[in-house]
Amino acid sequence: MSEPSAVTTPPVLPPLRTPALSEIFRALLEADFTVQLRNNRALLLSFALPLVLLFALFANKRGIVLGDPRFRVAAALTLGMASIAILGYSMTVARDREKGVFQRLRVTPAPTWTIMTSRLLVQVAAILAMALVLLVAADLFVGVSLTAEAYLLTFICVIFSSALFLGVGQALAGLVKSADTLNAVGRIAYIPLFALGLFGHSTIFGNTFELISRWSPGGTVITLLSGAMNPSSWNSDTWLALAVSAAYSAVFAGIGIRWFQWGAR
Amino acid sequence: MTSEAPPVTGLALQVKDLRVSYGPKRAVDGVSLDINEGEIFGLLGPNGAGKTSTLSAIEGLLQPTSGSILIRQVDVRAHPVQAKALIGVQLQSTSFQSELKISEIVKLYAGLYGVPLSKPAIFDRLTEIHLGDEASRRFSQLSGGQQKRLSLLIATVHDPPLVLLDEPTSGLDPQARRQLWDRIQGIRKSGRSILVTTHSMEEAQSVCDRVAIMDYGKILTVDTPAGLIEKHKNDPNVLAVARGQVTLEDVFIGLTGRELRE
Repeated sequence: MSEPSAVTTPPVLPPLRTPALSEIFRALLEADFTVQLRNNRALLLSFALPLVLLFALFANKRGIVLGDPRFRVAAALTLGMASIAILGYSMTVARDREKGVFQRLRVTPAPTWTIMTSRLLVQVAAILAMALVLLVAADLFVGVSLTAEAYLLTFICVIFSSALFLGVGQALAGLVKSADTLNAVGRIAYIPLFALGLFGHSTIFGNTFELISRWSPGGTVITLLSGAMNPSSWNSDTWLALAVSAAYSAVFAGIGIRWFQWGAR
Repeated sequence: MTSEAPPVTGLALQVKDLRVSYGPKRAVDGVSLDINEGEIFGLLGPNGAGKTSTLSAIEGLLQPTSGSILIRQVDVRAHPVQAKALIGVQLQSTSFQSELKISEIVKLYAGLYGVPLSKPAIFDRLTEIHLGDEASRRFSQLSGGQQKRLSLLIATVHDPPLVLLDEPTSGLDPQARRQLWDRIQGIRKSGRSILVTTHSMEEAQSVCDRVAIMDYGKILTVDTPAGLIEKHKNDPNVLAVARGQVTLEDVFIGLTGRELRE
């Protein structure tokens, strides 16, 4: 190592500029999309799980007990959303927080909201891709076809309800710091958040259970999506499901924002 | 949103009466320091002295309880985005998204500073730090020395006037340490200022233009390494730990005590 040099007049540095938001977003989105596409676990959760449920609900004759064909397609869609948001998104956030990825990003000029918004947009894109694949599969393999109007309305409702499950994912990442614990908690959270909703249109466990199930987060989304798949049947229950979904989204997102910490310590 | 940086005033960083608390515990207690343009400034202190907290406040990771931080006259608290564009940071432990290749990591961070880099430009930068052949590998697949070199490249990808390095050579073998210090000195030669924390007194003595010794959240003394030795060579606490000619390490231990921390 050399001796310390005396402080001399340094070369004149070129002025730095603050990056534009569009530049920051472009960089973040490109990286986050790449991460999503390379994450095998995320891809499996995004596409395989809802397709398996779709075929299971239609292959088994007892699946009809749960509801009409559109209800069952909506249930598979809801599972896809729940998997992407609760297991995929929240786990990635917790893991990156533990590794210090967020702290590294936060020392750049990227405002913190852009870091999270970019990740959420990628999840919404993944959910839309999953919905498209599932609806095409439902048309081709189980005979549930939608009109163009129904496709459009379903996609709008998918985007709307993705806010609910991403809100849940954010809340879980806010409340549970450790990635390992979150993995376990996420699986348990599946029961009240998704599985319970499967019985929202069935009285096999009685009327009270049906009511609870119908207005659970998963049940609400299934009701909303099954209504969107058949616009002519959109009724007061569907409107109510829309309102309840919005309320759930606000509550979960509020918890996620209030208790979220960027660092693991 | 795009704006030019303010004119240079000769000071890369001005910290005045900085205080940072974690609940009831005060980690940084009235720290003030100035760093000149083109200077390597070392911040020394035992574990828990408040070095990383000081750096975290400058980097915008921590909200100070009070005090002011100006980077080239830009107030960090009032204009965090503009201030962050003026600094390059190497954190004590850094990690990047494990799914990204290192060329993609460089592209991401260049993009976050509004520096568009083509593939050949990224490759050239990686080749400069002897990582051209590793461009397709993941960060976790690199050795410790390679990771530190990449982190330093990313910290300086936008040619910032001030670079903050938190224990950049920890965990490296002597060859990798020497190579990294050569790079840090190269950054200074291009006119940049560097604020570095280190536990290596030998490195601080040979590389830093000035050093500050910090303990219990306060700066105990600031000067050139030779100036510090001269100033404290007759201090009874320093003489008590010196084994022969007084070194910077003797001054450090003399001022901060022998007891183990954390």
